[in-house]
Amino acid sequence: MSSGPPGLSVGRRAVPLASGTMHRLERLINLVAALLHAERPLTTEELRNRLPGYADDHGSFRRAFERDKEALRDLGIPVVVEPVDEATQPGVVGYRIPKESYYLKDPGLEPDELAALHLAASAVRLDGASGVEALWKLGGEVAEQGGAAGPGPTAAVAALPGAAHLAPIFAAISVRRRIGFVYRDRARVVDPWRLSFRSGHWYLAGHDHDAGEERMFRLDRVSSEVEPASGEGAFERPHHVGAQPPPWQMGAGEALTARLLVDAGQAAWAAGHVGPDAVEAWRPDGSVVLAVRVTNRDALRSFVLGFLDHAEVLGPPELRDDMVQWLEDLAGPEGPGVDRVALGADDQCRS
Amino acid sequence: MPKLSTDERLQRLLALIPWVASRDGPRVDDVCARFGCTQPELIADLDLLFLCGLHPYTPDMLIDVDIADGRVWIRYAEYFARPLRLTPADGLALLAAGRTVLATSGGDDGGPLDRGLAKLAGAMGVDVGEAVAIELGPVAEDLLRTLRSAVDDSRQVEIDYYSFGRDERARRVIDPYAVFSAGGQWYVSGWCHRVDDERLFRIDRVATATPLGSTFDRPAAPPELTAYRPDAADPRVTLELDPSARWVAEQYPVEKVTEVDGGRLRVTLVASQPAWLERLLLRLGPRATVVDGESGIAAVAARRLLLRYQG
Repeated sequence: MSSGPPGLSVGRRAVPLASGTMHRLERLINLVAALLHAERPLTTEELRNRLPGYADDHGSFRRAFERDKEALRDLGIPVVVEPVDEATQPGVVGYRIPKESYYLKDPGLEPDELAALHLAASAVRLDGASGVEALWKLGGEVAEQGGAAGPGPTAAVAALPGAAHLAPIFAAISVRRRIGFVYRDRARVVDPWRLSFRSGHWYLAGHDHDAGEERMFRLDRVSSEVEPASGEGAFERPHHVGAQPPPWQMGAGEALTARLLVDAGQAAWAAGHVGPDAVEAWRPDGSVVLAVRVTNRDALRSFVLGFLDHAEVLGPPELRDDMVQWLEDLAGPEGPGVDRVALGADDQCRS
Repeated sequence: MPKLSTDERLQRLLALIPWVASRDGPRVDDVCARFGCTQPELIADLDLLFLCGLHPYTPDMLIDVDIADGRVWIRYAEYFARPLRLTPADGLALLAAGRTVLATSGGDDGGPLDRGLAKLAGAMGVDVGEAVAIELGPVAEDLLRTLRSAVDDSRQVEIDYYSFGRDERARRVIDPYAVFSAGGQWYVSGWCHRVDDERLFRIDRVATATPLGSTFDRPAAPPELTAYRPDAADPRVTLELDPSARWVAEQYPVEKVTEVDGGRLRVTLVASQPAWLERLLLRLGPRATVVDGESGIAAVAARRLLLRYQG
């Protein structure tokens, strides 16, 4: 042992501490080391004899070991149970950590790449996961400006809500494992392709085996645990999973192109929302005409009604008539003609 | 940095050991900076580490830890030669963060973040663009930039803002405190001089933002504003919903929900903003009936909208 600067010395204790007073961290490191080093599965008896820090009596050992084993698994450490040797000790199982599934596949990040990831992780917080542990594994945090102090904690600029099933679904996506879950009161079997976050919600896109086609599932409507339904590599991921379509294209109706007029005040927002490809023309008064492909008329009507009286359906006639019928039913028996003058006056007051 | 639990210390050590062991005596302060700990915390962990090793725990079987001249060495820990693999939660947290930054900064084609994410996704067995997609609402980039630099400079801005709840557009001078995204929308928080109070503005409803010559004093602790603050004095409305409109109870904060016959639902909502209630009722149409509160709202609104379709 070399002697370090004051306050930085580490002294070796001659004798290991008696069990019970050993720090749990020390016990866990020894446990990981033993299981990772083992060439064959170690039985609980062997572990009890070899590892310091566990109580001698069998019951207490068993409880402590179970707790430690679960703690390791919660951290993602792959502790496996395997038969020790079926030929000589049939039925006896032991534990080990296979090196090939423990060790990180080093992505080989350059320092600037690690720094960029660190910056991203401090700017965006995904509920329930900080990304800090992941960065430790990849070589620790690298501040952009060097120096020991580094920049202060960056305020998060974006917070993404979590969802209960995000991690298991992402795990299934990455190993291409089919999954099963209950959605809208029905059991589904799905090849998971892609997670997306849109309008405040997480969605899973994948192949629904019942429906026989691609479907979107909102994660907060999954009402069961997500269970594995196959081994790894169970399907091929299609190369271009469609981006999530807007609600008015999520339907099985006959496809139509709706023409909408949105007044100047709302025009920029509307054009940004439907995308530049749907803009047919900007009018001199600042309003915009949009041409939107529609397969779900209810959703289109909801979209247009969101603008209140700042937008209208120009055509085709059947969509315009749909809207007029909908509004007339709501307007009730007093036909619009009756109140027309009075409402005009009311409108004046509003502006 | 808050004090870590034993499990978190274990996680950090399992990452730190291979990093130090694969180098010839890195500096203690570099190790501390990388792994987010103070020197005493690092020493405490190393103090334990160096009692660890393999059965029978004779000196030759223990991990060797050496600290000298502000540098640290870890030897004889071959089984800890590599860090623990990334868990799905680890990978998702990093990919989602990276994708969010890319989505809101106009991309970084071939830049360090882009490259880092591609390598990371490759190690997780996925294609970065295809496994995770993040959309934070369409907001003009130059608007975000203007508002962010106004926050940085404590500069007042005049915004042309559409109030969704009141269906009205107005110019307001604000002292912007922060620009952030929550729940999939971008917001700017600040002091609004029009109402003389703190307000939260959705950036997609800001038509223009003009920086002014004047600056303001930032409050020491800007308030945490939430997007929705119901008030006891706000009017309530009670609706009876068809089975096909039960989603309203999931989508909006409802104060009371009762099951009625035939799968119908009776819900009470805070309706402080008339335009918001108009939209909801217009969209629901015959699927909702007002059972308590002003009942003529939908009919009056429908007649107003019909004017656009006449003549």
